[in-house]
Amino acid sequence: MSELKFVFGDPDTCTGCMICVNVCSMYYFKVISPARSKVRVIRIEPGLDFPLFCRNCEDAPCINACPEKALSRTSKGIVIVNNRKCVGNGACVIACPYNAITINPDTGKAIKCIQCGQCVKRCPVDAIWTTTEEGLKKKDSDGRLARIYDEQKSELYNKEASK
Amino acid sequence: MKGVAGTILWADMTNRGIEKKPIDEELVKKYLLGAGFLSKVIYDMVPPGTDPLSSENVLGIATGLLTASMFPQASRHVVAALSPLTDVWGESHAAGFWGPELKFAGYDAVMFTGASEKPLYLNIADDNVELLDAEGLWGKDVFETDDILRERHGKECRTLAIGQAGENLVRFAAIMNDRDRASARSGLGAVMGSKKIKAICVRGTGKIEVADEKNYLSHMDEFYRRMLANPFTPGRAKYGTTSLVELMQHIGRLPSYNMKQGVFEGYEKISGDAINAQYFVKPRADFSCLQRCARYTKVSSGPYAYEGGAPEFETQSSMGSRCGSDNLESVLYGHHLSNQYGMDTISLGGTISWAMECWDEGLITAEDTGGLELNWGNHEVIVKLTKMIAAREGFGDLLAEGSFRAAQKIGRGTEKFVMHVKKQEFAGQEPRAQKSMGLAAATAARGADHLYAFPVLDEAGFDEDIKKRFGEEYLPEMADRLNPTYKGIMVKECEDYMVMIESVGLCKYGTQIPPEFFYDDIALTLKIHNGLDLTRDDLQLIGERIVNLNRLFNVRLGISRKDDQIPKRLTDEPAPLGPPKGQVVELNQMLDEYYEQRGWDLETGLPFMETIRRVGLEEEAKGIALPQ
Ligand code: SF4
Repeated sequence: MSELKFVFGDPDTCTGCMICVNVCSMYYFKVISPARSKVRVIRIEPGLDFPLFCRNCEDAPCINACPEKALSRTSKGIVIVNNRKCVGNGACVIACPYNAITINPDTGKAIKCIQCGQCVKRCPVDAIWTTTEEGLKKKDSDGRLARIYDEQKSELYNKEASK
Repeated sequence: MKGVAGTILWADMTNRGIEKKPIDEELVKKYLLGAGFLSKVIYDMVPPGTDPLSSENVLGIATGLLTASMFPQASRHVVAALSPLTDVWGESHAAGFWGPELKFAGYDAVMFTGASEKPLYLNIADDNVELLDAEGLWGKDVFETDDILRERHGKECRTLAIGQAGENLVRFAAIMNDRDRASARSGLGAVMGSKKIKAICVRGTGKIEVADEKNYLSHMDEFYRRMLANPFTPGRAKYGTTSLVELMQHIGRLPSYNMKQGVFEGYEKISGDAINAQYFVKPRADFSCLQRCARYTKVSSGPYAYEGGAPEFETQSSMGSRCGSDNLESVLYGHHLSNQYGMDTISLGGTISWAMECWDEGLITAEDTGGLELNWGNHEVIVKLTKMIAAREGFGDLLAEGSFRAAQKIGRGTEKFVMHVKKQEFAGQEPRAQKSMGLAAATAARGADHLYAFPVLDEAGFDEDIKKRFGEEYLPEMADRLNPTYKGIMVKECEDYMVMIESVGLCKYGTQIPPEFFYDDIALTLKIHNGLDLTRDDLQLIGERIVNLNRLFNVRLGISRKDDQIPKRLTDEPAPLGPPKGQVVELNQMLDEYYEQRGWDLETGLPFMETIRRVGLEEEAKGIALPQ
């Protein structure tokens, strides 16, 4: 299962422009709205801009958390929401350790990144890319990215702060 | 209408009342949003005789029609009121995330009337809008205010605030947003302070619907492709505007020693390369911005240690060359302090450099300054005065009035060293090296200013664009910085275009320099975003209407040709050094051409009645004696 893909970003390169956020809400919901986007961008001083996505965890706690069994993993390894089953009770939102799932206020259904790559190809500074745990380790051989993410994790994944 | 929130917030500071009113679509068709909208609303509500710092003034903060769209650099909002610095039309603009957030919360603009006795702040959380007690915030700087409000109302909130300078009614106080974005010119931070509005905290979870959902993204893809392919974009990413120091030195347009000259021997030390070599951390962008000219910088140690937003060219010149200082760390830190206290660095540097020249001339002495020595380049004093001005302490209290009023108070011939138009300090363009900038400063509604027209087409080889926009017959004169010919035509055209851009909420970067996008691109975007059918001619006429309305606002206050003047130094004293050596600004020749283009009377500079009719302002002009 190590081939699970996810989108990841470099907070030293990301400018915080939110184009990825806008692309996502426009592509999927035909509106411009950070609250309806599957990617969040968080600015944290000193000088960091984090584009944040579903990390496609191997154990995917969101799948297990859903009492409606609305989340599942496809044969390509993507965790998707079945809109017919989702009732928007938010158990996945609570279970996600990365605060990467939200409920779309219009549809009442959970939304999450499915690694479609629409934002990746439009990021003006190539700050985001699709990768795997292994690929990321290789790219981050000096541990810079791991360290920055770890240092800021309480702010990045704090669900209260993003209410 | 699509693409907008559809509601204007009205906050009555006297009675602590909030009202929500639907956007007036007829008004939008005539003036768009942003600058145009505020021009009309404030024109109707603020009559002559109003004291800018009284409860009678009206402060408006408005997004544009395309703010929070996906167009490149669609992040901007406009603030406007009667200016306490110039006593005429006051307007200023900023990028950031605050404007888009306001839209997502459901509002296109916030209008403040009246004044509160005690400090309040406006908290907007979607439908929930409240004026709350700001007692614990009053006295705090801009960064502290942002920290406290986001701690209190949620980290994802965006804030707009004044610092101590606005509270203390410094006449060039800025309104700050997203910590280090500034609506700096015209002193509107003082208007906010006089109404006792400390901040506006916004959180919006709404959405912007667009008119053409189907083709929206593919149009944006094409705009993004063009923006990224523009040869200017890599340089913007690398330097922002900081490398203009080198370019301006090269053409002799870098204001130095209070605009005595346009070259500065220490320019390399305050240049873009100098910043990049030692202090640059990363480029930053505002909402939907591909050009990323914002910088994040760090001075690691010493008295000027700080980390945060970096100066742009304007501050490098105003707190550097203009004051004869080549101490880069003090420029970076001075900029940071100005953000923290919320002040316009242009007027700040302009005012300090005026005092420095007066000191040099022996007109201001230690007796006036409380012992401070205002020698050229004394960076310690520049930083000290920055703090003293924000706090209105000692000599800083006098300088907080701006150079024009300070000189009026001191007298002794210091008046002749005030580099201003309509009481506002010149920005970083020594006009003897670029004549169009002299004319633009003279005619700008808000006083000395490069942005109202932003006539940069003669700056660096935009001959092709001149050909496209005006026609081949205007070359080579129009493209020649030192030739006054056709500059009236250029400034008029640029003003009309730029006020329109400020009314749709886009950045001047991308629409004017580089001139990648023009009327047709804006018209297309207004169609797919807002569903508006406006042609290039319609948009040009709207721009012209706004400029004329700003003029009427000022005419009502007694402004005429006599006020569209720049300091004698620039019109009568030949530039002493560098590439423009021997040049003066042929202002009157350019003004004649400009008025003629505008349909304004050459003698008085007032719009002819016929012009007013053509741009549809008969109602507004009622009661004003205009030439027939
Ligand atoms: S588009 Fe790229 S630079 Fe902009 S916020 Fe997203 S990841 Fe960052």
